[in-house]
Amino acid sequence: MKRYLVIGYVIAVGAVSLLVAQTPAPAPSNAAPKAKGKGKGPATPSGPTPRLPDGTVDLTGVWMGGGSNSGDITKGLKPGEQVVMQPWAEALMKTRKSQDDPEANCLPTGVPRGSPYPWRMVQTPTHKAATHIFILYEGNIHSFRQIFMNGKHPDDPDPTWYGHSIGSWDGDTLVVDTVGYNDKFWFDYLGHPHTEKLHTIERYTRTDLGNMTIDVTIDDPGAYTKPFTTTGRARLEQPGIEIVEYICQENNIDLVHVNAPAQLP
Amino acid sequence: MAKRVAVKLTLSIAVAGTGLLMMGLPAAAHHSFAAEYDSSKKVELTGVVTKFEWTNPHGHFYIDVTDPNGKVANWNLELASPNMMMRNGWTRHSLKEGDHVVVVATPAKDGTHTASAVTITKSDGAQLTFMSAPPPDVK
Repeated sequence: MKRYLVIGYVIAVGAVSLLVAQTPAPAPSNAAPKAKGKGKGPATPSGPTPRLPDGTVDLTGVWMGGGSNSGDITKGLKPGEQVVMQPWAEALMKTRKSQDDPEANCLPTGVPRGSPYPWRMVQTPTHKAATHIFILYEGNIHSFRQIFMNGKHPDDPDPTWYGHSIGSWDGDTLVVDTVGYNDKFWFDYLGHPHTEKLHTIERYTRTDLGNMTIDVTIDDPGAYTKPFTTTGRARLEQPGIEIVEYICQENNIDLVHVNAPAQLP
Repeated sequence: MAKRVAVKLTLSIAVAGTGLLMMGLPAAAHHSFAAEYDSSKKVELTGVVTKFEWTNPHGHFYIDVTDPNGKVANWNLELASPNMMMRNGWTRHSLKEGDHVVVVATPAKDGTHTASAVTITKSDGAQLTFMSAPPPDVK
């Protein structure tokens, strides 16, 4: 909190002294959030990777950050990889308008697009390897995902915003395999599309107490010529930070002022 | 209705990228800031708060601004979301109807009386700063 107040003070002083140019927001980054040094606010919690009594890695906690660049999914790819769209997908993307972004219309972001708000990972049972893992999102849009550990995909799942997710452990890495997505959400602010053939494989590795790497392989032969993998990192929030209510539909009145091509934030 | 005060309305335009002090963190959390607002411009508005909405996905407050000819315009000023503002020290009581404020804001591209607030100075000198987007380090 102190860190934010300091940042706010700096902004305040600058603002009243000048009417100044405002820079566009930096594209949301999937880079590791920087731990703060002395005098700049609390550091990311540090310590060894926590484990449950049965030895399973404990991924629970309130996290910030995600597995891809929510502004442009082609940024932050695994080295050597590239995103190549099918021609129809490229053509569709060029027609997309910012005001039509499902995220801006209070619809879910799907996978792997994140929000700049915290999210909580919860599991049950709590003290041994999970049968279910849940991701509770503060925003956008205060929804949740459920991961069925060692489960099986239905033969013909109904297409949904978050699909059907099954989880398993690869050593200390949680692997989440998801199919059954609908084609409605956008991968990013630029409007990268996908189809119902989308299949994602997320790999969550809690490298220490405060950090988790999240790699997401996106395989959608309907819209892309080959799979690609994004890399991101989440940071554990400070003790005491809780997710809070965020009901996007409450007062979403800004879109009437937006009439522009899909673009970075 | 709150008492209206003589106010000034200035519109200052600065071209982005001129090397001036850069500040202000636009709304990126929900819709595209760049699609709605013209970040090459700033307006300074002096007026009286007529409504404060502590709501998602963004807070808003509205102020009556009177021009030198006495004509009153009600401006819609966008804020961040309550979760973000709360973590930056705001509460639902931070603004209230009747507050006299000076606001520096980024105007909407569509020319309506709509803008994204950057700083708010109250009549007692207290300042509210506001981040439409989270600090870059937490994106």
